[in-house]
Amino acid sequence: MTEYLDPTDSVAVPRKTASRPMSLDGKVITLLDISKAQGNHLLDRLEELLRERATPKAIIRKKKPTFARPAPDALRKEIVGATDVLVEGLAD
Amino acid sequence: MSPADPELDADAIESLFNRGVTDGLPVVPPTRPLVERAIAASGRDAGELIALVPPNYGRATVEKIAVNAVMAGCRPEYLPVVLAAVEAMCDEAFDLHGVSATTNAPAPLVIVNGPIRAELEINSGAGVFGPGWRANATIGRAVRLVCVNLGGARPGDVSMSTLAHPGRYAYCIGEHEEASPWESLAVEHGFGPEQSTVALLAADAPLGVYAQRSRTPEDLMPTLAASMAVISHHRMTHWGDTLLVLSPEHAKILGDAGWKKGDVRRWLHERLQWPVRELLPGRDGGEGLPEHVLAKYRDPGRETTLIPKFRSPEHIKVVVAGGTAGRFSAIVPGWTFSKGSNLVFRRIHR
Repeated sequence: MTEYLDPTDSVAVPRKTASRPMSLDGKVITLLDISKAQGNHLLDRLEELLRERATPKAIIRKKKPTFARPAPDALRKEIVGATDVLVEGLAD
Repeated sequence: MSPADPELDADAIESLFNRGVTDGLPVVPPTRPLVERAIAASGRDAGELIALVPPNYGRATVEKIAVNAVMAGCRPEYLPVVLAAVEAMCDEAFDLHGVSATTNAPAPLVIVNGPIRAELEINSGAGVFGPGWRANATIGRAVRLVCVNLGGARPGDVSMSTLAHPGRYAYCIGEHEEASPWESLAVEHGFGPEQSTVALLAADAPLGVYAQRSRTPEDLMPTLAASMAVISHHRMTHWGDTLLVLSPEHAKILGDAGWKKGDVRRWLHERLQWPVRELLPGRDGGEGLPEHVLAKYRDPGRETTLIPKFRSPEHIKVVVAGGTAGRFSAIVPGWTFSKGSNLVFRRIHR
């Protein structure tokens, strides 16, 4: 049988998403604005709703320098070290 | 190796399509002998890592790139060009992460300079953006397959472009250096004329500019400028690397009149500037200067400060390409939001 080679990187480790919390109460939530126009409006409203419907320990607001690139490493590390839940906001 | 079996090949084509590793067109089944022949032609080790391909950061080794190049239909001797193109587009300055994931439409455009154009019959003349040349078609296609198979840029999954454009099948041109009155794009950027290079631009589709009655720079330049003014939209400003593809006839008009590439760039940059008061969103169209820029001015409705279309003249990249008959040029807009994608060069090693 003819052998066909794999065009993908089959040894790449699939990325896992973080486990989802059962409740937001007592959690530190970061809202990450990706710097798209109107992103702040979306996240403002989300923050209002989160405060209305849950009792998070804190809600932190962060912003990427540009939507066109991944978040800088320093920002990622800062968020990972201080956050239980991250919401990344897209808008336009 | 067993003799060719059309039924088996057809099954392989179906199977590869079903695995989601194609661009929708049938691919050449990547058998080990074909892949090994391509690797041998490159003179590189199969396991050598050329780049990690964003956004999934798959490992683009010489062998993995060769598999994709074979699937795209590349001849073995094209592999050095594909390797250089992959390395260039994975440079941080190119921002392939954004290019592959954005809702905008950019595709990596490969621009080839130097003697390798003649050696591999990479078209730089008539129909330069069109079909008919195996090298252009398959080198461009190989780059796309690498984006999908090693970068994870599957349309509708990670690659979220609203419209995309046909250049996402294959987008590769040569510069028609022999028909240019000027030094080539690569020489302008510090390479020798005897060196072969690729330059990668995250590019929208070409926008044709018909300027058939123009015989002087004074005729031609305003026509080119008016077409460049509407890149992205008519009030988009501070744009970055963008390609102006001059046909040989248009380039001759400018060259004969003593214009240099730098003169073309400076003229366009100066022409394409508007006062703040003409760039307000919500007046004759919803687009305009962003809020953080408008906030710098006390009364934007009266502000006369000029805002340029391009951040600097150097962001207007000029090449000569296409057939020697026809006064048609093209604008190829880059994808250049603040800190977005930039033109990236690599030497082709053989």
